[in-house]
Amino acid sequence: MSLGYHPLVKQLLDGELSLAELPPELRAEGAEALRLIGTVDRRPVVLSAALDDRVMAVVRQHAASRTRRAWHWLTAPRDVELRLRLRPVVWAGALAIAAGVALLLLGRVPASAPVPASVAGSGARDSVFVRFVLYAPGARQVAVAGTFNQWDLNAAPLARAGSSGVWTTTLALPVGQHQYAFVVDGERWVADPAAPAIDDGFGRRNSMVAVTLRGARTL
Amino acid sequence: MGLAGDATDGEVVRAVLGGEVERYAVLVHRYRDRYARYAARMLGSLDAGEDAVQDALVRAFDRLADCREPDKFAGWLFLILRNRCYAERRRQQREGRPLDERDDGVAAADRPDGTYEQTERMRALERSLGHLTPEQREVFVLKHVEGLAYDEIAGRTGATVASLKMRMHRAYDRLRDLMKEHL
Amino acid sequence: MKSFLALAFVLSTTLRLMAQDVGARLDGRVPLEVQRAVQDIAADAAAHGLPTEPLVQKAIEGGAKRVPAERLIAAVRALAGRLAGAWDAVRAGGLESPTADVVEGGADGLSAGLSAGYVSELVRASRAPYDPALVLRVAATLAALGVSPKQAVQLVEGMIKDGKSPSDLLSLPGEVQAGVADGATPAEAAERVNHGGGNGVGNAGGNHGPPPPDWVPPGQGKGHKPANPHKP
Repeated sequence: MSLGYHPLVKQLLDGELSLAELPPELRAEGAEALRLIGTVDRRPVVLSAALDDRVMAVVRQHAASRTRRAWHWLTAPRDVELRLRLRPVVWAGALAIAAGVALLLLGRVPASAPVPASVAGSGARDSVFVRFVLYAPGARQVAVAGTFNQWDLNAAPLARAGSSGVWTTTLALPVGQHQYAFVVDGERWVADPAAPAIDDGFGRRNSMVAVTLRGARTL
Repeated sequence: MGLAGDATDGEVVRAVLGGEVERYAVLVHRYRDRYARYAARMLGSLDAGEDAVQDALVRAFDRLADCREPDKFAGWLFLILRNRCYAERRRQQREGRPLDERDDGVAAADRPDGTYEQTERMRALERSLGHLTPEQREVFVLKHVEGLAYDEIAGRTGATVASLKMRMHRAYDRLRDLMKEHL
Repeated sequence: MKSFLALAFVLSTTLRLMAQDVGARLDGRVPLEVQRAVQDIAADAAAHGLPTEPLVQKAIEGGAKRVPAERLIAAVRALAGRLAGAWDAVRAGGLESPTADVVEGGADGLSAGLSAGYVSELVRASRAPYDPALVLRVAATLAALGVSPKQAVQLVEGMIKDGKSPSDLLSLPGEVQAGVADGATPAEAAERVNHGGGNGVGNAGGNHGPPPPDWVPPGQGKGHKPANPHKP
């Protein structure tokens, strides 16, 4: 075990002293120490170009599965209540390509889930309940606006679902193709990260949902 | 709304927390290389460093709601990366792998201006760094590779300047000992 | 001559009424100059037999999003252009007098990046019982998900050729999306669906149970029982 460096040499290494300021008998040790530290590789490191894409691919996955988990949570036992109150929400009866989330969930509903045979509709026979979900923990208010409500910011507010940062609402949409976007804090237009997106012509993107009736059919 | 290049970190963080997932790409682009060298040096290889940076960026997204000061995203990301590096090092130690066993070292052989001896010494120093404790290696990298002052390092890591100096001075002694044959 | 004048009168009245209707719907939602411009664009579109509803919707959308007047008008004009392009493409695909729905579906396709050629091709492939509007929308949604136009068209045409039900067609975007959510690129997810692997949505192999009783696969015609793909 060799001796360590003299404390003054350490101060030299720390940049608090110059070589000239060292006592003469320590200068050789000081020079040796500087040579040692000078060897260190300081070259900048550049990571591979594909890193950005890899990170975003995982980020999107996480965002989508977070929405799915929120969906699962939202459509757990509570939802039966919702359905009984508002008429049977369609699981098997309608195909909502809404946000892909709806469809993902429809496809993954376990066999034991109740499957109403008929399609709901408050009054209108061809209306389907579609749930909208957005993870936005930093938002103060969230609404959904689209072709189904004349892009009215105030027509369809979302409510917070617990304290998880998830916002949600369920709307009765007429059968057909719709475009929509979320409106955060009354002014920020946000496309649904989990839905197919289409250029809105104004420099932003709208999300798409196609709502149809499938008739009585199991998944 | 300005161009992506104009938005501050705080603005981008708030946008992402408002549901605009895609805007996170701005932060990824901004910070992907900033801490690359630190991560590579802490873990002893470029690949390990890249994995750590990638994981840290993803984790920063997952926990973005916990970022108390969106304008200080950079520092917050650094801490996440730092924790990731420490965790990785602990895992390596459990598996009995000291850093110098990695054969894809950061110090490449083709340093254009160097002689063979210099390259060898550089490699030896890299290996020796691997024998320091993570805390010693960190203060060494932040000071002598990243060029930060002690108070800056203290600000980033939460350690006091006094304890940092103590670790550093022990590191100097260890390195002198490990590098005996090369001096 | 008389009938021509009568027709011209009816046409101009219709257009005037329509213009009033457009104006009424935009009143208060967009500035006056935008209202006037959109009325003109819509009248022009109507005169060419194109649907005007999407134009009004787009203007209302722009108003809600507080888009500057110039940009808004440009976007509505661009949409009118796409509707016109869609109309041509759909007719080139063999539909002499397309419904508004089909033209809008074609415009969605063009907006999503499908070429006019692909729009025509999809219309040609959409013989009964496939509704061309539906086929176009599914292809447009696939393109909006990031699937290349070529692959989207292949996927859709493949399903038609295989005699899959329109409902199966509708589940295509969801299947691709499920794949993307699991980490595949859109191209990879589409490939999986193409080879019948599915992405975990519904039953394996795309077997979604018996088709609804009123749907008959092409070629089987009346009097045949629908094929039951449900194997015991």
